Amino acid sequence: MQLLVNIIVLASIYALIACGYVLIYRVSRVLNLAHGELMMLGAYMVLATASLFSGHPVMALVAAIVLSLVVGVLVYVFLMRKMTGEMVLAAILTTVALGILIRGVVVLVWSAQQQYPAQALGLPNPSLVLPGGGHISLWSAVLVGTNIAVYAALFGFLRFGRWGMRMRAAGQNPLLAAQRGINLHGVYALAWSLSTLTGALAGILLALDSGLTASMPVIGLKAFPAALVGGLDSLVGALTGALIVAAAEVLLIYYVDPLLSDVVPFLVLLAMLVFRPWGLFGTREELDRV
Amino acid sequence: MNAPLLRVDKIEVVYKRVITAVQGVTLSVADRQIVALLGTNGAGKTTTLRAISGFLGIDDARVTEGTISFQGARLENRPPHEIAGRGVVLVPEREKVFPNLTVAENLIAPVPRAGSTAEQRRQEEIVFHFFPRLAELRARIGGLLSGGERQMLAIAGALMCRPQLLLIDELSLGLAPVVVGDLTRRLTAIRDELGIAILLVEQSAATALEIADYAYVMENGRVVLDGDRARLKGHQDVQEFYLGQTGGSERRSYRDVKQYRRSRRWYG
Amino acid sequence: MFRPLPRASGYFRIDYADDLALIQTRGERVSLMVFALVLVAVPFIASPFLLDLACQVLLASIGALSLMLLTGYAGQISLGHAGLIAAGAFTTGILAREISAPFWITLPASALTGVVLGLIFGLPSLRLRGLYLAVSTLALHFIVIYLGGEYETKRGFSTGIMVDKPTIGGVALNDGRIWYFILLAFAVGTLLICINLLRSRSGRAWRAIHAKETVAEALGIGVAGYKLLAFVISSAMTCVAGSLFAYYRGFVSIEAFDLFLSIQYVAMIIIGGMGSLLGALLGAAFVTVFPYAIEALLKLLPNAQSLAAEIFAVNYSAFGVVMILFLVLEPLGLVGIWRRVQNYFLLWPFKQKPLAGARK
Repeated sequence: MQLLVNIIVLASIYALIACGYVLIYRVSRVLNLAHGELMMLGAYMVLATASLFSGHPVMALVAAIVLSLVVGVLVYVFLMRKMTGEMVLAAILTTVALGILIRGVVVLVWSAQQQYPAQALGLPNPSLVLPGGGHISLWSAVLVGTNIAVYAALFGFLRFGRWGMRMRAAGQNPLLAAQRGINLHGVYALAWSLSTLTGALAGILLALDSGLTASMPVIGLKAFPAALVGGLDSLVGALTGALIVAAAEVLLIYYVDPLLSDVVPFLVLLAMLVFRPWGLFGTREELDRV
Repeated sequence: MNAPLLRVDKIEVVYKRVITAVQGVTLSVADRQIVALLGTNGAGKTTTLRAISGFLGIDDARVTEGTISFQGARLENRPPHEIAGRGVVLVPEREKVFPNLTVAENLIAPVPRAGSTAEQRRQEEIVFHFFPRLAELRARIGGLLSGGERQMLAIAGALMCRPQLLLIDELSLGLAPVVVGDLTRRLTAIRDELGIAILLVEQSAATALEIADYAYVMENGRVVLDGDRARLKGHQDVQEFYLGQTGGSERRSYRDVKQYRRSRRWYG
Repeated sequence: MFRPLPRASGYFRIDYADDLALIQTRGERVSLMVFALVLVAVPFIASPFLLDLACQVLLASIGALSLMLLTGYAGQISLGHAGLIAAGAFTTGILAREISAPFWITLPASALTGVVLGLIFGLPSLRLRGLYLAVSTLALHFIVIYLGGEYETKRGFSTGIMVDKPTIGGVALNDGRIWYFILLAFAVGTLLICINLLRSRSGRAWRAIHAKETVAEALGIGVAGYKLLAFVISSAMTCVAGSLFAYYRGFVSIEAFDLFLSIQYVAMIIIGGMGSLLGALLGAAFVTVFPYAIEALLKLLPNAQSLAAEIFAVNYSAFGVVMILFLVLEPLGLVGIWRRVQNYFLLWPFKQKPLAGARK
């Protein structure tokens, strides 16, 4: 039973992170390899807002989330906008460089020590007992719920919202979208801000649950195979992929070797690439965009 | 005579900062006029249309000389969505619909030109009035449509932006003559009922000259001939090289034709 | 092709020997000899620190050249370069440690590991391209790193494997100057191999595959075979570089081969300029010297003492900034800048190439 709980929690973590990758890829065909670092930045910002709003944890959290939205827009406006027009590989490498930059800056500003935002905010993290006998920490439970809410909202927006439709259109055929009056820069900025928002949510909840170190981006990188396995441009795929990768990881750690933890997602990824590169639910696109 | 709706004045378009695609191209489209742009492959017709409707960064192309004015406002080198917002909308040659959206979504996605909400809501009715077939296909995925249906959806999508000038690139490419005839009739109806001017690029001169009021012929990136329908249809060189009508009734031997490389006398 | 040396102002080759020759004019020959003299003189006039820096640059060049071959010319993106270097280093370390193998066994063994890994890394390229291929190489990198880590923990080398310097006739090669010449020989050898490969049928096949794969296939080029060949040759060279790295440092530990190292190699070929061997060399020099330059810069600034404590973080940030600057401002790298300048002078006084068919 505890195994099942672990799988669901890990799957929720991966899913919440993965939808950030999917959002940006679906709308602009760019792979944002700085997502893990942006996620970490969101969590670190809670530390900053915690001291600003000491005594008001909810305000601090909201402020950190709003700040992440702003960061997403800024990253697009000042950096990625200049790359819309270059080769996709160059855009991806730009995100990699951005990630490296953020890692350095975070350590310079906050030091490489382990931090505990939950303590900084004065919020507890009790372990809850579930019917059927299993334990889950409070913030993990919140994460699972948040994940479901986020996916529901995103799904509704993309499928039925007017601007969601325009975002999908821009993802399929950017030139035609521009020729139909859709402001590509606006759409891309929206995608980046939504992606940073969900990433920050994931980062903050993770940090509240188990502390914050400068090596959090590793989890971001591990969630990437989940997005790919499901199909980089499919939200449903991200959810499914996260479940598959999380299940594989938890089961293999438990039954085989705990050291496998970091490499299992990539084994699953490799298997997927061999059999079905565009993922379970992805659109079968030409695979030679460089 | 009124000032033209669209005036392209001696434009030069350069790709990748080194390759000149068109040079010294001048044309104009008047209100409610259908103008055709003729020429073979590689003549620069698509480039001219793309220059009018706007380039994206990824094209790495620029209008380096000359001006493009629409209702007095300068359009050259502006981003495509802005140009569409002003009322100049392109129906591209390839990739003309959103393949993974349904027909209905294809018609919702375009951003209509500023106007009253009532006008904007009416636009879908208007589109279905001209293309009733699309109403039946509302739930069909765009990529699964036939060639003719796709062209209809492409034009309908452009109409949803409420344009005043419609640019159409290669109307008849890949379509059966019956379908093409149907489309040209609808285009004329659109011009008559909605008052939209049309700039039409066509490889098939016969099709274009049926509905166009005025036409330009392009070769190697330059405009080499222009005139109204009668002048072009009657022009010996246009007849020979674009309409496939050899002058005279006597038979000609192959030898004559192959050696017969006279240059076209465009200004005669 | 970009030729840095003064070239012939026409086509003057009249026999096969001329056709094969790399150097055409007397000007090229002279410049090359001067350059060679400078290179040879370096260990005798440079301080030990600069000598070590030069050795690092040479070592990095081998890896950069092999990556340029794979990614810049054959167009197969690889983000797993660090994994290959690790494999070469670990092969050497393991063989040296477990069976005390001498260098004339470990070096070929590392190359062999490279061949095998090249086949494995190259198999996804038969089905995938672009983004997905890059991701598959990333996955393979992590798997190699995991295996290395497993070896370290299972065999008790949790801090790394010590590797003794190789010996020739009982004399250990310890001197920095000797290492400079060894590494110079390997680097020049790699460069010559790359130049000749690119001039040959394989090079033409790779360029064709990079440009338009389906057309290459239609022209009868065995695309699958050449892709694998690119991976195999590139990986073999990289593993040899890894082996040299193990001997030069005397120490092999899995932490040194992280994703950042892969990114650094990719940065080398981007900053240098894709599709140019000279770019690989320039990029290797730039990226290798960069952290030292940053450190020197920090020492110059008065209030940098606190920053100096976090030198890694500063390096990271600075590297990120520079990489972004190159990608945004000049994605074609240093060689791209040179080409633009060249085009400007070639076309002057025109700004653009004239309109085709405008023959008056």
